[in-house]
Amino acid sequence: MNVLTRLADFFAALGHYPAYVLAYLFETLFMIVFVMVSFIVMIYLFRKYMARLQLRIGPNRVGKFGTLQLMADALKLVGKESILPAGRDDLPFRIAPLIVFIGLIMGFALLPYGPLYYIGSLTVTHSDVSLLLLFAALAIMPIGEILAGVSSKNKYAIVGALRGVAKDVSFEVPMMISVLALVMMASARTANPLNLTNLVEVQFIPYGIPQIIGLGVFFIAMVARASFSPFDMGESDSELVTGHTTEYTGMRFGLFYIGLFGSIFLSSLIVSLLYLGGYNGPYSSYLGFIYLLIKALILVLVSFTIWLSVPRIRIDRFVNMGWKYLLPASIINLIIAGIITLGVGI
Amino acid sequence: MVNTQISKPDDNGWVELNMGPQHPSTHGVLRLKVKLDGEIVKEIEPVIGYLHRNAEKICELDYYCDSLIYFDRMDYVGAMNMEVGYLEAAEKLLGIPPPERAQWIRVVMAELNRIAAHLVWAGAYGLDLGMLTPFFYCFVEREKVLRIFTEVCGSRQETNYMSIGGVYQDFNDKIIHDILEFTEQFPKKLEDIFSSFVKNDIFIARTKGIGILEPEVALDYGVTGPMLRASGVEYDVRKAEPYLVYDKINFDIPVSYRKDNLARFLVRFEEMRQSIKIINQAVKKIPDGPYFNPKAKKSLMIRLRGEGEVYARTESSKGEFSVYLVGDGGVKPYRLRVRSPSLKNLSILPYLAKDTMIADLVAISGTLDLVFGEVDR
Repeated sequence: MNVLTRLADFFAALGHYPAYVLAYLFETLFMIVFVMVSFIVMIYLFRKYMARLQLRIGPNRVGKFGTLQLMADALKLVGKESILPAGRDDLPFRIAPLIVFIGLIMGFALLPYGPLYYIGSLTVTHSDVSLLLLFAALAIMPIGEILAGVSSKNKYAIVGALRGVAKDVSFEVPMMISVLALVMMASARTANPLNLTNLVEVQFIPYGIPQIIGLGVFFIAMVARASFSPFDMGESDSELVTGHTTEYTGMRFGLFYIGLFGSIFLSSLIVSLLYLGGYNGPYSSYLGFIYLLIKALILVLVSFTIWLSVPRIRIDRFVNMGWKYLLPASIINLIIAGIITLGVGI
Repeated sequence: MVNTQISKPDDNGWVELNMGPQHPSTHGVLRLKVKLDGEIVKEIEPVIGYLHRNAEKICELDYYCDSLIYFDRMDYVGAMNMEVGYLEAAEKLLGIPPPERAQWIRVVMAELNRIAAHLVWAGAYGLDLGMLTPFFYCFVEREKVLRIFTEVCGSRQETNYMSIGGVYQDFNDKIIHDILEFTEQFPKKLEDIFSSFVKNDIFIARTKGIGILEPEVALDYGVTGPMLRASGVEYDVRKAEPYLVYDKINFDIPVSYRKDNLARFLVRFEEMRQSIKIINQAVKKIPDGPYFNPKAKKSLMIRLRGEGEVYARTESSKGEFSVYLVGDGGVKPYRLRVRSPSLKNLSILPYLAKDTMIADLVAISGTLDLVFGEVDR
């Protein structure tokens, strides 16, 4: 039983096909609402958490405890004039924020959210290769950032985009090798380890325990993917103004901003699904989604703490780290995973 | 006609990038014309003058006593040190030495302001490197210093506290109590801030071995202050040519032989610790007596006449701050000239940041501790 069949049951009076069409529509709608609400919660949480960490109070004027501050900011962004630089490459400049946003939403759509009491499984997409699709969707976002940097015709933006490319190249290979180790380990227990649902459900022991190195590599890669400090070389505000988003104003900038916080939440969800056991736990058929959310939120707070307390690493050092440390570490992790899979068989 | 093309690389394949005057890393209005080869900085040309307010000339058009406020606005994060610098020259020229009590009070205030200025620098340097949090911890501590200033003279930053022949208002017991309270709790907070920087491996990686300034080069360029001491030259005006009552106070001059960004960071933090030491001694030694010279009564102030030439050196938080003052016997100075340490320290930037990466350029220019009110005057 999952959310789709629940909805179809709800619309059953309309006949089989209309019910399923409506169910799909509503399912998508719920997903988008969930994603949007998660962004809002994420940004509010970030502001309050940052304020506490920095001996401040944080937003507390608009709405109770400042909860409506984000609404006010969003309205402000929508109301702002969207200034387009004269030398821009028009089409890429306009679609770049959308690409970032669409990549993000696709990433959310592909995750298995686990079951929640009564509603059943919250997973939206049912695909046998959802793991591959997920990383394909994640690879879309940097394209938007690079397009934004190149099409702005701004030197800061171009340097930011260049750094973004260098960064992506150096962490994606170790990241995918870590994922490969997961698939290898899961293949001992399930026929189709590329299906995220299977990959999560075979984790009787969270894979982060046998693959602690892989967890480290993957988490670093996810921090770099979300690109916040210490890996925010692409938009490093003290060097490149704001890197590839320098020329963006109004809601176009807002999409990039959402993309940042959205990808922090997305990365936390992915790390908790792949390495921390996801929605597994006692009574997971009722509380699975809650487990997943709690794990993800803890990771989000860890990410925020890292963001706020660590200086930015230099791009050449990051590239060095990617090829000299992360890549060997991920290969060692792969070997260890292989030995465990053959010898012990978790 | 709008230029829709990014400027083409020049013959060397270098691209010119304009950083500033409105740029987040150049806290102030510094403009850097940078030639880039990819990420590597090949040439830097600092362009200054965006905050030029003609302070020296204005001072020549004013009475001796009125010029002080323009000095407050030079190094606006270390106004007390600027006042000390001007008054050293003006009082020597006018022949109105401050009484001893005023001298001790000035030392206390100048050192408090040195702490405040270094805290601003430390916080801003964290921001330069992408650390958002230590900034606020620095500013909370600085706020306590500014509270003391408000208590003493009613103003936070542009204090205008000292005056020719003394200080504007006397210390009372409450102020001394506040200062001692501050110096008691501050060292622990300072260590917290300090460890939030140096216990961070990325911070060390960003500062260690970067921006090496050889002592000979530093002396050639006229670099002074913490910059020079971080290159291993033991030179501090407070020791080399003591003014006020610094010769009666026991303190050390922090020197580092590392010569890099980290050295400048360590020297500034050690200076704050030494300032606390100075304040603790000075507060207890403040003698009784008048707090201004009766020759400089307010009603007589604009009639003060000076003749001759004076050059007075002081150690501000940025380096050697000196004032050259020429009087022709009138009520206004004939010529006033300021040697600004920030300007001299800025002149080293093209040398230091050549062939480094953009990220290092920001990390290096952060250690110069530039305040543009003082560079441009």
